[in-house]
Amino acid sequence: MATVTFDKATRVYPGTERPAVDQLDLHIEDGEFLVLVGPSGCGKSTSLRMLAGLEDVNGGAILIGDRDVTDVQPKDRDIAMVFQNYALYPHMSVADNMGFALKIAGTPKAEIRQRVEEAAKILDLTEYLDRKPKALSGGQRQRVAMGRAIVRQPQVFLMDEPLSNLDAKLRVQTRTQIASLQRRLGVTTVYVTHDQTEALTMGDRIAVLSAGVLQQVGTPREMYDKPANVFVAGFIGSPAMNIGTFDVTDGKAQVGGASITLDRAVADGITPADGGRVTLGFRPESLDVVSSGSEGAFEVDVTLVEELGSDAFVYGTLKNGGDLHAGDSNQVIVRIDPRNVPDKGDTISVTIKPEQTHAFSAATGERLG
Amino acid sequence: MSGTSHLAAHSDATPSATAVPPGNTPGQGRRRRRRISFDKASFFAVALLLPLAVYVVFVISPFVQAVYFSMTDWSGFTADMAFVGLDNFARLLGDEKFLRAMLNSALLAVVVPTVTIAIAIAVATMVTVGGSTTGGVRGVRGAGFYRVISFFPYCVPAIVIGLVWAQVYDPSRGLLNGVLTGIGLDGMADFPWLGDTRTAMAASMFVIVWSFIGFYTVLFVAAIKGVPGEIYEAARLDGASRFRTAVSITVPLIRDNVRTAWIYLGIAAIDSFVYMQAMNPGGGPGYSTFVISQDLYQTAFSKGQFGYATAMGVVLALVTLLFAAVVFLVDRVTGGGDDVRGHA
Repeated sequence: MATVTFDKATRVYPGTERPAVDQLDLHIEDGEFLVLVGPSGCGKSTSLRMLAGLEDVNGGAILIGDRDVTDVQPKDRDIAMVFQNYALYPHMSVADNMGFALKIAGTPKAEIRQRVEEAAKILDLTEYLDRKPKALSGGQRQRVAMGRAIVRQPQVFLMDEPLSNLDAKLRVQTRTQIASLQRRLGVTTVYVTHDQTEALTMGDRIAVLSAGVLQQVGTPREMYDKPANVFVAGFIGSPAMNIGTFDVTDGKAQVGGASITLDRAVADGITPADGGRVTLGFRPESLDVVSSGSEGAFEVDVTLVEELGSDAFVYGTLKNGGDLHAGDSNQVIVRIDPRNVPDKGDTISVTIKPEQTHAFSAATGERLG
Repeated sequence: MSGTSHLAAHSDATPSATAVPPGNTPGQGRRRRRRISFDKASFFAVALLLPLAVYVVFVISPFVQAVYFSMTDWSGFTADMAFVGLDNFARLLGDEKFLRAMLNSALLAVVVPTVTIAIAIAVATMVTVGGSTTGGVRGVRGAGFYRVISFFPYCVPAIVIGLVWAQVYDPSRGLLNGVLTGIGLDGMADFPWLGDTRTAMAASMFVIVWSFIGFYTVLFVAAIKGVPGEIYEAARLDGASRFRTAVSITVPLIRDNVRTAWIYLGIAAIDSFVYMQAMNPGGGPGYSTFVISQDLYQTAFSKGQFGYATAMGVVLALVTLLFAAVVFLVDRVTGGGDDVRGHA
């Protein structure tokens, strides 16, 4: 058991100018489940591989417990890693795969056997111990990869998108299994994923990276309720948050046809660099459908309605101009009552629920207020 | 509206076990006899019959002919020959020179592939995954340079290699003795590397191995690059040393290539004609480097005993086949053959 600390850890790939990981400062508590999340190419896997020792560290340091492991060989770091493609040894049986590290370490055969069998029992792999990886299903291979990590009883588990090769249903199942297994074993875990749902459901804390830079670290609730900047706001949450940049006059933002009064703290935070504009974000569930002409309401032209049973989402465009969209789409998303949905082509009026507007600087993207 | 969509979603999820795909009822499944169209016939003629005919005429028939000649007393330059049955083969059993050549060829077949493959795997490992043990899995510094260098000998024709090394080994003017005496080993002056029964075979083997290493290094490099890098990373995290990784991970995963290399090298080593003829045309001191193919060559073209020489050729072919069979057998017995490379 140990803490993990990234102290301004930096990785620059040879032949590139921009660091893949730029001065990463991150402290992970003993026994914590930390999820590194971000879009592809954001440096999350590189960070994990730096911790594993599979990637050189060009600046800063990495500590496991109190030990500086920056220049320590991977095998001496007391870590175990689960790879995206599992990286099982195809010519070895499941038992040999799981026991390989112990065999190299010179552990007595009886003990290897006992520890492998224990891990196999936890992971429901007992009947497959003599099989080769080829004769296993994707989910079973994933469990063998987990077993290989567990058997070593390391100080830290590293997981690099271990669920991305499973089908959707199995992924949800395995997600909860891994999370509960981690709680049971109490081993510090660093988990990399590009899937923000995985991050929100599994992590004790989440660290969001973008372009090699750490954006925000916090509990899933903090990340969702108080995103530190526009990137985190747009990345966390599904469906994504509606975000747009609007003109501000007399402390009021002009959204579509509506004037939305900004908090005092927000209004004061607007600098000349922002050019009299502010970036606002509100989640699909923060919008209420109201009758047209209501106070603070703006209108949305409906282009699509998505019904999910428990929820329904309206996709549309903001009427009367203004650029407002959610995530990569160019649409506004509104969560509505699934028993009362508008038709395509309708226009609906919506207001933002009180205290549920996120305001960001138009110039820097940092949170205001 | 939402209610109907619920229902629709449910009925979608119900497995349609009772649905029978049309046109798949029993009885209809019986295959009709295929008509042979012109397209099909011409395809078979060109793709199958033509190559087969060429193969029979130019490969099979000479073999059959050779087996026939091996049972005659043909001198090679006359039209008439007498059928002598298995006399030639019986004579071979008592021919000490030939038996010596058999022994030498067998020795080459064991030593040359073993040493070549061991060195080639070691070099291939170093230039692909044997580099620094921190950071990513990579080859040693300057790996590309070593890879190119190691391939050089393969670009030189075997006959040139043989002639060049014969000069290197030359007792009085050779490069080797020059270097050895230069570093103070005066006892090595005038030592006949290819003229001493103790060293002739080893020195010849060294040249053959030297000439093959480059190609097999490239072959194994390609094979190692076919192994997913994550497997090497996993091995590294598991604490495997370079040597351990080579033995426990690399060799099992490139096993098919190793087996193929073993057979090719074995066949080349059993033959060895060009190298031996260039370095020791007379068969070396006390026939210590004399190989079957040399015996065959001399018997046929110097002594004019084509029938007898052909019998040697037939034995050589059988020895080669036997060698390949042994390699396959060993591979099978030690657990090869099942395709382990279904990537996880």
